[in-house]
Amino acid sequence: MTEDLPAQISALLARCGEGDRLALARLLSLLEREPAAEGFIRTQLDSTPAKSAFVIGFTGAPGAGKSSLINALLPEACQSGAKVAVLAVDPSSPVSGGALLGDRVRMQGHSQGANVFIRSMASRGENGGLTRTTETAIRLLALGGWNQILVETLGIGQVELDIVNLATTVVVVLTPGWGDSFQANKAGLTEVGDVFVINKADKEGLNQTRVDLQDSLSLLSSTIAPVIAETVATTGQGIAELWQTIRSQTTAMTDAGLIDQRRSLRQSKLVEKALLRHLESQLKELLASETGKSVLSDIARGKLTLEEAYRKLVTKL
Amino acid sequence: MAEKSPPKAAFAASGIELKTFYTESDIPKAHRARMNLAPGDAPYQRGFHPAGYRSKPWRIFQLSGFGKPEDENERIKFLLKNGETGFIMEHDRNTADHCYNVDHPDVVARREDVGLTGAVMQSVRDTAICMDGLPIDTSFGHAGGAVVQHAPFALAAYWTVAKQRGFDLAKIAGTGQSDFNLTYLGCVTKEQIPTQAGLRFNADIIEFCDQYLPRWVPVSIAGYNAADTGLTPDQELGVLFANAVEYLDEIKRRGNIDVRSAAKACGGVSFRASIQIIEEACKMRAARLMWSDLLRQRYDITDPKIANLRIHCVTAGSKMTYQQPLNNIVRGTLMALGAVFGGVQSLGVSGYDEALSIPSEHAHQMSVRIQQIIQEETGIAHVTDPLGGSYYIETLTAQLAEKAWQFFEEIQGQGGYLAALDSGWLHSKASDNQYKEFMDTESGEQKIIGVNCFRDDESPFHVDGFMGTDDAFDVATSRLQDVLRTRHETAAASALKQLEADCKGEVNIMPAMMQAMDAEVTLGEIGNVFRQVYGNWNTPIQT
Amino acid sequence: MSQAQKRILMAKTGLDGHWRGPTIVARALRDAGFEVIMIGMANTDDIVSAAVDEDVDLVGLNIGGHIDVAKRAIAQVQATRPELPIFAGGTIPPHAAKDLEALGVEVYPPGSQLSDIVDAAERLTGRK
Repeated sequence: MTEDLPAQISALLARCGEGDRLALARLLSLLEREPAAEGFIRTQLDSTPAKSAFVIGFTGAPGAGKSSLINALLPEACQSGAKVAVLAVDPSSPVSGGALLGDRVRMQGHSQGANVFIRSMASRGENGGLTRTTETAIRLLALGGWNQILVETLGIGQVELDIVNLATTVVVVLTPGWGDSFQANKAGLTEVGDVFVINKADKEGLNQTRVDLQDSLSLLSSTIAPVIAETVATTGQGIAELWQTIRSQTTAMTDAGLIDQRRSLRQSKLVEKALLRHLESQLKELLASETGKSVLSDIARGKLTLEEAYRKLVTKL
Repeated sequence: MAEKSPPKAAFAASGIELKTFYTESDIPKAHRARMNLAPGDAPYQRGFHPAGYRSKPWRIFQLSGFGKPEDENERIKFLLKNGETGFIMEHDRNTADHCYNVDHPDVVARREDVGLTGAVMQSVRDTAICMDGLPIDTSFGHAGGAVVQHAPFALAAYWTVAKQRGFDLAKIAGTGQSDFNLTYLGCVTKEQIPTQAGLRFNADIIEFCDQYLPRWVPVSIAGYNAADTGLTPDQELGVLFANAVEYLDEIKRRGNIDVRSAAKACGGVSFRASIQIIEEACKMRAARLMWSDLLRQRYDITDPKIANLRIHCVTAGSKMTYQQPLNNIVRGTLMALGAVFGGVQSLGVSGYDEALSIPSEHAHQMSVRIQQIIQEETGIAHVTDPLGGSYYIETLTAQLAEKAWQFFEEIQGQGGYLAALDSGWLHSKASDNQYKEFMDTESGEQKIIGVNCFRDDESPFHVDGFMGTDDAFDVATSRLQDVLRTRHETAAASALKQLEADCKGEVNIMPAMMQAMDAEVTLGEIGNVFRQVYGNWNTPIQT
Repeated sequence: MSQAQKRILMAKTGLDGHWRGPTIVARALRDAGFEVIMIGMANTDDIVSAAVDEDVDLVGLNIGGHIDVAKRAIAQVQATRPELPIFAGGTIPPHAAKDLEALGVEVYPPGSQLSDIVDAAERLTGRK
């Protein structure tokens, strides 16, 4: 880490806490691109009194209209002077490492510009649906006074589970006819949602979809039953009601102690993930070393079984 | 003597591989049986009429317009004086495309752009100025309304002015546009009514014209924007006919008018004429073939007056280069030639300054001159379908039609034309092609003279952009205030309410639009009703 | 990723829906490893708030009409983030191109090589 980076970060954090958007934006960039900065930022945040934020995660299939839905919800979320941030995540190209981040365009032209902060993030290789640094990004946004944070995750379906660990409330967005393409993924999605939204509710197949969804949800045993809402994001139909539903569902879950439960689960998941990442990079290094290479060739020549190889390598980690 | 390397493979823009030469045996058998006909005989690939251009030259029909309505009026008169034989009244896109008045914040933020690509017409008063002294009854007028949500306003305004001037609507000839491929594929606006609502509008327009304007082409089923956005010639054909089917099936479903009547009215379609000119000529021939087959097979229509496709063509704007713009005069000429060999009924040639701006007077005049020289000096117009019977032409025509039908079927497989637009499937096809085309130019595989070879460092030869006039916004603003202040407010309010009610209901919206024009309702007010009633199309792409 | 990710904002200053050119450029930039934030047809406020909140390294403007419209956006961006480079493409006639260059904006008219645009992006964002 360069010499002046900690000082730079401290200064930015102070400005961010006072509501400076440029500082917040700069911190988010540093968080994403400087691995050394990530640790320092986290440490600093740990020693600052945390500002609370209400985090809603939006997940669901591509094309379900998550961006349009969030765009429609913004005016609702901004009522009573709330400051709303949106984190929109899109996939990075595995080939070039670049990304096309196009969710922001669907959220433009908000008269509440001063009360809305939109940040596009590329997944940069993570496939849990969120970027590695989303947790810290949320804490930075909260520090900046953005107390309602809407996180839009990748719509790849089966690996959305990261959002559960980060969000206060999880909204799953579907469209009529979801059942056909979602058979395989039902287990994943139906278990994570607190609110299920059937968007594009004006399309054919609404009733069947609602019935299918109700059936799937009835199989779960949740303390607080998930709620189903219907919207047409592009016309605003059902939007005000959806916001109310999200709020009341959150209240219900908070009262039942579920939010805290989720928070502690989140902590352990994050620790687990960090450890796994560490382990993975260590293992990769080991396999690339002389020892590692010789073990690999032994396996290939049948001189070592996988079990034996494992026992040999694990002592070196 | 060293062995010459075999000739490199060559392909038409549609991907069809081209042989080095053709003989009779290359022509598919099925096509051979249909090719030795007179023009005017089914399936019409040879053309509309045996006497072709000798009986009726193609219409010289130039896209025009900018500034205040009077500026556009002046430019149209200039073109008519210089020999165009139809006129096009383009509307300012900042206001028209989105159905905004000039006081909308998005328009105010771009006030210098207002009037850049068309005249600002916010009410029937503006349209009246634009149409002042134009030969509405003797010429062929395009009323504007390229974008689907704008078309009802543009048409109703034009017809209202015509009526006010004592013209019989049943006698006036002209065309609307209301172009799906432009609106939903090639030039996606910030806000737009959904495709279903657009289909409703167009079917309403078709039915209204059937009753009141039998000489009017209600909507233009057009391939230009599909092609300029990236679809290949076979895809342009396929998508155009998929678009046509969407309209005709809707008319049938409604059951209000005879589908034959609708097919006749809509049988004046529009294609792009691009630079691979032999293929483009074949494309027009294939189009006529396809229309004839489509009508017969799908709608049981064989009446020659209906099954004979009429084609308007616009040369490809995207092929005009920014570098060495005078070269574009050659490009325009060649593309026009392709269209003429294809036997089109109407033609617009893009200005040589197309890549820089809207046409200057000189560029506009040049576009007319190109057509006149072809018409009068080359002798090409004396013989109908001059390339008919050529082994190459007949083979490529047949191959294009076949490939086009395949694409048409793929669109049906996607759930039809509207579904293929809503899902972004068509956009992704266009996008993939665009990228490939760009890469070919980038690598030098496709040479573009003056652009990736034979470049000069100097700025283009004394050609600069034509920026129109600079008072369009201010004048439009004061005229908006005028009309709002001086119109009969009760009548306007009531007409707007009626329009809203009709939009929400199942009746034809055009009578209410006509009423609204009479009552001097403004464009922005109408746009607000549309937005409120129909919501916004969920664009499948980022624009 | 060993290389710091650079972010480019792409916006259109006009109200013209043609999307072919900007899409190709965005894709080429993505393929070169950039994160491209596309906001489409955008007003000055949209452009400036995106430039700030997204903390981009470069702004790319597609200009289709009078550059006066673009100049307002350019002025605001330069006032808010003076160090942020800007480049522009689109239907920009020669006299307008000169005007923009005088403001420190690099201009890439139609017919520009994509590789030149990508190189410019790399140079302007400090990757090369």
